[in-house]
Amino acid sequence: MRALLLMIPVALAGAAFAQEAGKSVWQGIYTVEQADRGAGVYAQRCGACHGAALNGTGEAPPLIGGEFVSHWDTMTVGDLYDRVRTTMPQNDPQSLSREDYADVLAFLLKTNGFPAGSQPLDKRSEVLATIGITAEKPAGM
Amino acid sequence: MKIITTLPLSVAAALLLTTAAGAQTPAKEGTVAARTTNGVANWTTYNADLKGSRYSPLDQINAGNFGNLEIAWRFKTDILGSRPEYKLESTPLAVDGIIYTTGGTRRAVVALNGATGELLWQFALHEGKRSAESPRALSGRGLSYWTDGTKRRILYVTIGYRLVSLDADTGRPDPEFGENGVVDLKKDFDQDLGDLDTGEVGVHSAPAVSGNTIIIGAAFREGFTPKTHNNTKGYVRAFDVRTGKRMWTFHTVPKPGEFGYDSWLNKSADVNGNTGVWTQVSVDEELGLAYLAVESPTSDFFGGKRPGNNLFGNSLVAVDLKTGDRKWHFQLIHHEIWDLDNSSAPLLMDVTVDGKPRKVVGLPSKQGFFYVFDRATGVPVWPIKETKVPKGNVPGEWYSPTQPIPSKPPVYSRNGYLESDLIDFTPELKKKALELTSKYQLGPVYTPPIVSTPEKFGVINNWAQGGTNWPGGSFDPETGIAYVYACGTCISSTGLQPPPPGLSDIPLVVGVAGQPVTMIKGPGEGAGADSPAVAPAPGAGSGPPRLAVDGLPLMKPPYGTISAIDVNNGTIKWQIAHGETPDFVRNHPVIKAMGGIPRTGQATYQIGTLVTKTLVIAGENQFTTTPDHPRGAMLRAYDKQTGKEVGAVFMPSTQSGSPMTYMIGGKQYIIVPTSGGNSSGEFIAYALPGKK
Repeated sequence: MRALLLMIPVALAGAAFAQEAGKSVWQGIYTVEQADRGAGVYAQRCGACHGAALNGTGEAPPLIGGEFVSHWDTMTVGDLYDRVRTTMPQNDPQSLSREDYADVLAFLLKTNGFPAGSQPLDKRSEVLATIGITAEKPAGM
Repeated sequence: MKIITTLPLSVAAALLLTTAAGAQTPAKEGTVAARTTNGVANWTTYNADLKGSRYSPLDQINAGNFGNLEIAWRFKTDILGSRPEYKLESTPLAVDGIIYTTGGTRRAVVALNGATGELLWQFALHEGKRSAESPRALSGRGLSYWTDGTKRRILYVTIGYRLVSLDADTGRPDPEFGENGVVDLKKDFDQDLGDLDTGEVGVHSAPAVSGNTIIIGAAFREGFTPKTHNNTKGYVRAFDVRTGKRMWTFHTVPKPGEFGYDSWLNKSADVNGNTGVWTQVSVDEELGLAYLAVESPTSDFFGGKRPGNNLFGNSLVAVDLKTGDRKWHFQLIHHEIWDLDNSSAPLLMDVTVDGKPRKVVGLPSKQGFFYVFDRATGVPVWPIKETKVPKGNVPGEWYSPTQPIPSKPPVYSRNGYLESDLIDFTPELKKKALELTSKYQLGPVYTPPIVSTPEKFGVINNWAQGGTNWPGGSFDPETGIAYVYACGTCISSTGLQPPPPGLSDIPLVVGVAGQPVTMIKGPGEGAGADSPAVAPAPGAGSGPPRLAVDGLPLMKPPYGTISAIDVNNGTIKWQIAHGETPDFVRNHPVIKAMGGIPRTGQATYQIGTLVTKTLVIAGENQFTTTPDHPRGAMLRAYDKQTGKEVGAVFMPSTQSGSPMTYMIGGKQYIIVPTSGGNSSGEFIAYALPGKK
C-alpha cells in the first residue's frame, strides 16, 4: 500500500505538466537572447576545459557535433540540465545559479543547431524533463 | 587525514553467510594464481596476473550462451565520495568469492559479496588539501591483493599518494605496515617535494605485488601546459609488503654518475621531471624481473629544456625485483615530443618463434607499434631499425635524427595521417576534408610538432589519445596471441604557443594561434572529493574549425579496432572494427544514401579487453540508439580464432574500465566498470540465468 500512496503525488505532478509532455528540443525551446547570455557564462566558466569552440581539450569532451548530440539521444533536456548542474564546473559543481545553467544549456542547444523560439528555457529540472532530445529532427517538425 | 571505515562485517563471516562461499584454499606466498577449486575461480591482480594477460580459463560463458547473459547485480559508486564519478576505470579483483575494488571520487576501497554485490566493508582516507591538489584524482584503476597463506592484505594508493595496507577480512589498516597501515609515498623519495600537500605526484595504477615486494610508480599533471620543466621526477620504488619499508628506488631520470645521465645534455637531467611509470608494472616471478614502461619527460610536446635522448624516458626497463638494479632497457622513442608515452602494461608471453620456445615481452603503444623483446636479455625478437625521421623547426627544440621502428609485427593502428586517410565517402566530402586540412599539418608517424600560426594551426595527430592507451592489451597464454584494442581516429590538432607570463617556465606550450593560452587539466585533476573552486577562466574568442566534415569524422573508418597479434610469428591474425557505428554517422544523410556502411567502431581510447578460454570480450564506450536496442551500449564477445562476433548483451551504460571475470559457487560472472554521459560510476555484474 505504501508504494501506491507514494505514487499518487507523482501522478498529479505529471498531470500538471501534461500539456508539456511530448515536447521536442526541435520546437524552439529557448530564446536567442538566452543563448547569447549563456555564451558569456560558458566563456567564463566552461571554456577553459571544453574549449572556446566547444571542441573539448584534454579530457574534457567536445560539446558540439554528432557525438555530443547522439550521446544524449532519447534522453531529456532535464537529464542534460541536471548532469551539467550537479557536476559542472567539474571542480565546483552547483556553483552557478539555475538561471545561468539554463542559459548555458540554451547556448549549447543553439550551437548544436537546435532552433530558437520565443520562450526561454525553464530553470526547473522537472519541466525540462518533459522535453525530449532526439538527434534527428522528427518528421513534420 | 581522517580514516573512515564502515561496516566492519568480517569477510570470513560474510563467506559463512552466503551460499557463494568458496573454501578458503591454502595459498602460496604472493598473489594467488587464478584457479578453479570448489567452483571458485579468482582474479587476483589488476591484469588477472602479473604477466598482464587479462586472461581467465573460464568457459561457462561461451559463444553459445553469451547473448543470454543478464545482469546479476549492480554496485553504484556515488556514495564513495562527495560527488558522483563519471570516469570509473577500476578493474575489481575477485578472491574466494569476495570482490575488492576502488571506487568513487574519494577512491574508497570496498569489499563486496561476489554473488550479490552487497557491501561488506568500506575504507577511505579523507586527505583534504593533499587530495584536492593531487594530479591524479578519482577512483583510479584499482588495488592489489597479497597473502602469505595466513595474512590477507589489500594494498592501494590513495589520491594523495599514500600506500595503504588493509586487512582483507575487515578493511582495517594493518598496524604493522608503515605508520598505522599507511606509508607516505611523498617521503623517502630521493628528492624533496617541499610541501607534502602540494608536492606534485600521484598515481592511478594498482600496485604490483610479487612475493614480499610492492612496486609503485608515479604520475603527474598532464604535460600540455606544465608550470615548470623542473617538476617531480617519476622514480619507481619498491616496499616490503609486511612493514612498508622502502626496499629500493630506480631513478627513471638518472642521477649524476648513473648510467644514462649523459643522455641528458647540459646536465639537463638535474632540472627535468616526469619520466614516471603511470601504467601497470608487470613481473616475471621466475626470472625475478619487473618490467617498467616509462613515460616521457616534461613537457609533452616541447623538449628544448632537455636536449639529448633522455634515458629512461619512453623506455621499457627490466629491473631486478629484489634490488631494483637495471638488467636491460630499450628506448622506444628518443627525445620524445609527441605525448606518445608508454601507456600499456608489458605483456609477458611465452611463444614459439622459428621453432624455438621464447620468453618474450610485448608492449602495445599509442603509436600503433607492438614491440617484442626477449624478456631475459632485452634483445628485439625481430629487428627494430633506427629509421631517419623528419627534423622540425620549433625554435629551441632538440631533435633525434632517428627513431626505432619495429620490422614485425606490422603497425596495428594508424599512427600518422595523410591525405589518403581523409574521409572519402563522396568526392565532395573528400574535397571539403582537403580544404579543412589545408589549415593544418598532416604527416606520418613522428611528424614533429609545429608552432601554431593562423596559416597552420597545428599537426593533426593521434598522439595524446590514439592507439592503445592505459587499458593496454591482453593475451592468451596458451596460444601466444595478443588481443589489443586501439583507437585509429582519436585525433586532435597540436600546435605550440608561448605561454602568458606566470603560466610556465617552458618557452612553448600547447596553444592555438589567436587563442589565449590557458592551463589544460589532466584526468580527473581538480575533480576529486575535496577539490575547491577555482577562479573563473578568461573569455575566449572563436577557435579553429572542428576536425569534422559536414558533421562526419574527418578521417576514414575504422574508428576503433581490436587486433589479434600472433606473437609466435609477428603477424596480425585478424583485425575487426570494435563498436557500433556511432548514431551521427549511421544516420547521416550521406551514409543513408549510400545504403549504409560496414560497422565503423568508435573513436575512444577507454577500451580494455578480457580474454577467456574461447572469447575476447569488450564493451562499447559510446552510447548508441539503434533499431536493435534502446539508448545504451553493447558488451560484445568475439571468437578468439577468427574475430567473428558470437554474442552481444545490452549495457545500460558504457564501459569505462576493463572487464574481468571470476567464478563463485560454480557460476561465472563478468564485471564491467561503467560510467559516462548521465550515468555515474557503476559496476555491473553479468551471469547466465538460472544456473547456481
